Amino acid sequence: MEETDRQVPVTVLTGFLGAGKTTLLNRILTEQHGKKYAVIVNEFGEQGIDNDLVVDADEEVFEMNNGCICCTVRGDLIRILSGLMKRADKLDAIIVETTGLADPAPVAQTFFVDQDVANKTKLDAIVTVADAVHLSSQIEDHHEAEEQIAFGDVILLNKIDLVKDENIEVVTKRIRKINPFAKIIKTTKCGAPLKEILNLDAFSLKRILEVEPDFLESDHDHEHDDDVTSLSFVSNTPLDMEKFQNWFGKLLQTKGQDIMRTKGILDFKDENDRYVFQGVHMLMDASPMGKWPENKERSSRLVFIGRNLDTMNLKEGFEACKSE
Amino acid sequence: MTTDLNQFPELDKTKFEQRGIQLEIGVPVTCAVSIGNNIAAGFGDGTVRIFSSGEKHKTLKAHKGVILCMSKDGDSILTGGDDGYFLKISLNGEINEITNFGSRWVDHVAAYNGNLVCSSGKVVYYWDKNKKEPKSLNHDSTIGGLAFDAKGRRLAVSRYGGVTIWKKDYSNKWKSTKLDWKGSHNKVSFSPDGKYLVTSMQENVLRCWRLKDKLDFAMSGYGSKVKSFAFISDTSYLVTSGAIDAICWPFDGEGPMGRKPICLPYIGNKQVTFIEPFPDEKAIFAGLSDGSVFLSQIENENNTIIIRSFTGSEVSAIAMTHDKSSIFIGDMNGNTLWTSIWDQ
Repeated sequence: MEETDRQVPVTVLTGFLGAGKTTLLNRILTEQHGKKYAVIVNEFGEQGIDNDLVVDADEEVFEMNNGCICCTVRGDLIRILSGLMKRADKLDAIIVETTGLADPAPVAQTFFVDQDVANKTKLDAIVTVADAVHLSSQIEDHHEAEEQIAFGDVILLNKIDLVKDENIEVVTKRIRKINPFAKIIKTTKCGAPLKEILNLDAFSLKRILEVEPDFLESDHDHEHDDDVTSLSFVSNTPLDMEKFQNWFGKLLQTKGQDIMRTKGILDFKDENDRYVFQGVHMLMDASPMGKWPENKERSSRLVFIGRNLDTMNLKEGFEACKSE
Repeated sequence: MTTDLNQFPELDKTKFEQRGIQLEIGVPVTCAVSIGNNIAAGFGDGTVRIFSSGEKHKTLKAHKGVILCMSKDGDSILTGGDDGYFLKISLNGEINEITNFGSRWVDHVAAYNGNLVCSSGKVVYYWDKNKKEPKSLNHDSTIGGLAFDAKGRRLAVSRYGGVTIWKKDYSNKWKSTKLDWKGSHNKVSFSPDGKYLVTSMQENVLRCWRLKDKLDFAMSGYGSKVKSFAFISDTSYLVTSGAIDAICWPFDGEGPMGRKPICLPYIGNKQVTFIEPFPDEKAIFAGLSDGSVFLSQIENENNTIIIRSFTGSEVSAIAMTHDKSSIFIGDMNGNTLWTSIWDQ
């Protein structure tokens, strides 16, 4: 059996207080789905969920002692996941709830940094529950709300029954501006089918090829400088691998704190394979993913989500990586 | 596992496997300790199995979930589980609940001479012998490990940012001192002579403090996290997992600073995942990530014998009986071996 076949998928569930995370967790635990899910909740969470498969955690964020300042991980998660892996019954998935204000990055990074966690579990997707009524004002007032949207692979836009259609469109646009590649599911009472939330494999590089991000040039009109926004680039000229590695490595090293997520498919000169990568802050996973499909034009595509992206000379940097 | 053994004819059954009892329990072995000439082993389904020579092992249903930790307490064992229970279990199978934390896990347990300790989250609970109510010792972060020194006077508690050492003063009040080092500290142990304290960290490194002057240093070079380490009983060596060799740091004389460890190699380049000293000898049992277990003399690497062959699952527990006659081995797939060590 392949190592990856035995990895239990872990979904990170985030979202502002009152958005509907607990509603979703209760559904996951009580619906008749024939699956065994463990849920890791914050001990100071909104309300108690009573179930044998609920584990209390205390969201301890540790700095890794490896000289990398933005490399923070969830120490409690390392402990709890390795404990869960000793269970007699095999879990179909694990869901980690983060509190409304917590940055989901340390949770995601835990899966890149700890060897035991990486061997036995895999980060499946970051699911953000957003309150359609209050999201716009929350984004204005709390940078965490913006960050949760930025990190999400799936965004459940919840409570749409309480919002007028035209306002749903406004909120959707706002989300798209921050995060062009998340899948947005509109729900009332978080009523989306679980198969659209769990076991998505959103962090596998293969999956990035299947669900190609929406590479529309994003708007670029800033209201204030610390807005989280996204920028994307496309090039039909093949890239020079060495130049790209130099530029991109240095970029993540120096600006990794502001760059929240990156995804890309790259076409390098003199290489037959497509290169796919994705990152959370300065941690990155990259690999060649087989030959380019014959009926498809080769091109490089790159998306950044983060703060202060317009100060990083991303366009110039990317252009300079093109081979002559 | 016969098909696997056929694929690897060179790893045929060892004589220890032939004369011992092998079980396929199918649930991870999480811990094992010796109580006299018996071994108690804990499993991922909450059962405890007690192995004694000459009789069939006893199976006790102790916890509702994973047994996370185990310690010897006289003729009994203490166990902590992910069901929140802290239990005391006697050799004849009597189970007593000491306390129950509900949905909070009991992560670590320890005992010295009837004084019982467990940790749940950031709090250590200490039951003085003959006292009903525990004393709570609070910490700022979740506890990574607990250890008494050889005389039971000091209790080391590892956590994020270092170790807290608790001790009762002459008026029976708890006093603590701190040893600081940035990062997350897991398993902790005093050297048997009480002069050193060692922790394994989240990074692939061990931290050591010389307690007389708090001088601290790292023991590094590991390819993975050091999950298992122990001192040889005369403090001559600290033996550790975390590499493809068993790593033995010299602690005699002036200690390990500036000295190189002895690295004991094993065939197949597999990671050493569990290490258990052979009592009162400069020798170790090393369990590997493929399930094999070797017995080696530290100062003579040529003197290595295979105890258990390949099972395909990492060794997670090794314990030897007090009389040094028998050994128990368990792995993450629940394959166990209980065998006598000496030829009849």
